[in-house]
Amino acid sequence: MTDKPEQKSSLWKDAVLRLRKNHAAMVSLVLLALIVSACLVLPAIPGLLHDPNALNLPNKNQPPSAAHWFGTDHLGRDILARVLGGGRISIAVGFITTLVAVTIGVMWGAVAGYTGGRTDAAMMRTVDVLYALPFLIIVILLGKTLEPITGGLTDFFVNLFAGADADTRARNDTRAWVEPITTLVPLFVAIGALSWLTVSRIVRAQVQSVASQEFVEAARSLGLGHLRILFRHILPNTVGPIIVYTTLTIPGIMLFEATLSFLGLGVKPPYSSWGILIDEGANRMLSNFWLLFFPTLFFSTTLFSLNFLGDGLRDALDPKSAKD
Amino acid sequence: MFARVMISPRLITAVLPAVAALVSCQRGNQADTAIDEGILIIGNAAEPRGLDHHLVTGVPESRLITSLFEGLASDHPYLDDVSPPGAAKSWDVNEDKTDWTFHLRRDGRWSDGEPVTAHDFVFSYHRLLHPDLAAYYADMLYFLVNAEDYNRNRRSKILLSNDRVPGATWEDFDGLDGSPDESVDTDGLGSPPEWERAGDEEARARFVRARGLDHLPPEALDWLLESPDDRYSWPASAAPEQIRALLTALREHHGEDLFEIANVGVTAEDDHTLRIRLRESVPYLPSLSCHYTWFPVPRHVVLAHGEITDRFTPWSRYPNLVGNGPFKLKEWRFHDVIEVERNPHYWDAENVRLNGIRFHPIENPYTETRAFLAGQMHASYTLPPDLAETIREKHPENLRQEPWVGTTFIRFNTTREGLSDVRVRKALALALEREQFVEHIFEGHTTAVSMSPEMGEYSPEPVLEFDPERARELLAEAGYPNGEGFPRYSLLISRSSARPQAETAQAMWDKHLNISITIENRDWGSYIAAQQNLEFDMASAGWVGDYLDPTTFLNMWMEGGGNNNTGWHSPRFEELLREAATKSDAAGRFAVLRRAERELMNGMPVAPISHHSRNYLLHEAVGGWYPKLLDNRPWKHVSLER
Repeated sequence: MTDKPEQKSSLWKDAVLRLRKNHAAMVSLVLLALIVSACLVLPAIPGLLHDPNALNLPNKNQPPSAAHWFGTDHLGRDILARVLGGGRISIAVGFITTLVAVTIGVMWGAVAGYTGGRTDAAMMRTVDVLYALPFLIIVILLGKTLEPITGGLTDFFVNLFAGADADTRARNDTRAWVEPITTLVPLFVAIGALSWLTVSRIVRAQVQSVASQEFVEAARSLGLGHLRILFRHILPNTVGPIIVYTTLTIPGIMLFEATLSFLGLGVKPPYSSWGILIDEGANRMLSNFWLLFFPTLFFSTTLFSLNFLGDGLRDALDPKSAKD
Repeated sequence: MFARVMISPRLITAVLPAVAALVSCQRGNQADTAIDEGILIIGNAAEPRGLDHHLVTGVPESRLITSLFEGLASDHPYLDDVSPPGAAKSWDVNEDKTDWTFHLRRDGRWSDGEPVTAHDFVFSYHRLLHPDLAAYYADMLYFLVNAEDYNRNRRSKILLSNDRVPGATWEDFDGLDGSPDESVDTDGLGSPPEWERAGDEEARARFVRARGLDHLPPEALDWLLESPDDRYSWPASAAPEQIRALLTALREHHGEDLFEIANVGVTAEDDHTLRIRLRESVPYLPSLSCHYTWFPVPRHVVLAHGEITDRFTPWSRYPNLVGNGPFKLKEWRFHDVIEVERNPHYWDAENVRLNGIRFHPIENPYTETRAFLAGQMHASYTLPPDLAETIREKHPENLRQEPWVGTTFIRFNTTREGLSDVRVRKALALALEREQFVEHIFEGHTTAVSMSPEMGEYSPEPVLEFDPERARELLAEAGYPNGEGFPRYSLLISRSSARPQAETAQAMWDKHLNISITIENRDWGSYIAAQQNLEFDMASAGWVGDYLDPTTFLNMWMEGGGNNNTGWHSPRFEELLREAATKSDAAGRFAVLRRAERELMNGMPVAPISHHSRNYLLHEAVGGWYPKLLDNRPWKHVSLER
């Protein structure tokens, strides 16, 4: 967006101003930033946290203490390390999958809305058909079908990061953080491949309304190509709804990953995700409440924050209020 | 919001049981209501694979089947070595305990009112042993004379030793092996080998050896008959006309069921007298007959729904299932409940104390424990170890911890590359810290030193130990120094509550051998199927004794055993088991069994970890429920009292 029109830039400015006045959204933004950076940064600092997957059986089921701030689980693993490590996975799933879904959805909707006619009808009927499929079953089937590729994918990334001739210990250490993410790739793809439907409808409607406006007519009469008109002139005007939708999709997908992990279909042991930690904690809440409390605290805080932020962005980016 | 809209119902289903538990708390207690109705509600761990007791192998199935069927003898309410009469009211036996005559009750009835006869038992054992049924548990009946030959479909041996081949006996063909020869190259023949694909002489000869003389199609037998000497290597002792006679007999009896000819050791002397001849002395036969493989199936019902060899026909489903046990099937809601009710035709119906039993297949033991504590059931299937402490403090009156004859182990698929090397299997076994498992993972278990736990006079040689040094050496010898290049195996588990033990093994192997494995969770049915089809690498498994003798932990590892599921077999091991069977004194027999067990541990198709204990919750109102070593519960003695 190098040649931003004057009017639009003030829309963004207004939006930021409005967002800053929304206290719930701002608090959410700070909390979210804290949680995300804690999950991404802290486990990467060597020696700071306990190894999230290292067993310490004599030390099992310890309540929160100075050594283990969040306590330990039934195998003596540090809950703080597991919550942060699991957060990495949950957040990665949420963001990557949303990115996949939004990219597909925007392209599909934009092309359908801009082209119109039979192409549009065919594309949108495809969306209708996909809507009719049972989501959970398709995700599980697709995930299972794609599972065989994960081994090769893991090896590829381990070779990439650790080097093909590194010793076994180094490779296993690299594998420890590559693998939980690569084993989830089938699920990313499966969820992403089915969650773009709503985005595509929103974007199509948006593109249709923008495409009939005068500045698009002007661009067309100047003889610009279709791609240039679509990507330069139309899509930037639909960014508001897309951003709002994105912030609301991420928590949905994180919740969905939690559901799958809760059912035993997500991350494989010994790795954790918030869904797995909540599953394990829920089982043991009779005896060790902290196993459930801390993962749930992080998970629900993140979900609330994303939802509040999404609401705030929707209000801030509403084009009607931008004109007052 | 596609994702969100779709998710909410899922979450609700996940939360629902908890909510339901809360609601039912307030509405009054389901367990108390059921006490007044005389209905026992228990947790049963998993949806059974079926109720056809010729085709199932699990403990959850066993608990259901023992309520619906009854064997010749029955389980004593609290003694482990006494078997009171069941479907038979008495029995006679010869001195060396090989020839038994059971006198069935004249008033014995199936739950549809038909009489239970000796023919039902003969039919039932015939069915279990039928080669075409391919029952996993057929080896439980190998004690019967000739049962093994029949089950393994050794047609030439059966024909020769029962005078069906004019002018020839089994001795004339000394050493003839009619079983498939696995060493034959089957390139171009298909898998399994097909006659149509074998075009030339050489391919046909290979086909014959690959299939084995006992399993040939008629075309192949005709082809052999044209020129027997050139086309198959016969034992030198057999004369050409004897070979022709054998081939002709095989051709004549092709496709025929050889049960009668095989002279299997079970016969109906009359409607109510069953004679059982055994190939070895089995003093504990009455206790053995309490296992469901020895139960009868209703011949008239099985045949009404299919052939004798048809698997999973509707005969064993509701409402067709007919049994001879104290209860009959009332309702079967998939993954919800199986309810049985009092069987009015049962011979001892007046002494059955309960009006019915509800079996709930709750896979998650934590959910089950919560359901119990919320007053929804009278007995749980198993208590998760990490809750034992809490329960001991808060509900000591409900906690039951009892010894249980069983072994927890890791099963290896020895047909997988890498795991086929005994050094790899031994390395994996040596790297497991069993003390840690027993102390922290399995509440009340004891450390395993071999496959079989100590049973009465029998104690196995201690073989297993924790020796990471030796384990690393073995792994290096096998070609994986420091775990380098070690294949990435997955460890199969059957429910998420087995995750702690799997994660512990995973961490120990990572720590001591520098190898990493994955853990795969499947539901009970596909977990069992994957092992039976050898479609797994390693599996976290358990075996509970079927009768109180060490052979219950040893016999299944024979070649082709339906519960072997490892691909491992050893002629030496089987020879020792056969030798033990010929010993009539207990001490001598146990000595040979110890050597057999040593041989098994030498091959290490499984890495035993611990011996079971039974931890569960029991409601105070339940009576007639005593600790039993095999946990075989005679349901008719269980009662509910306030």
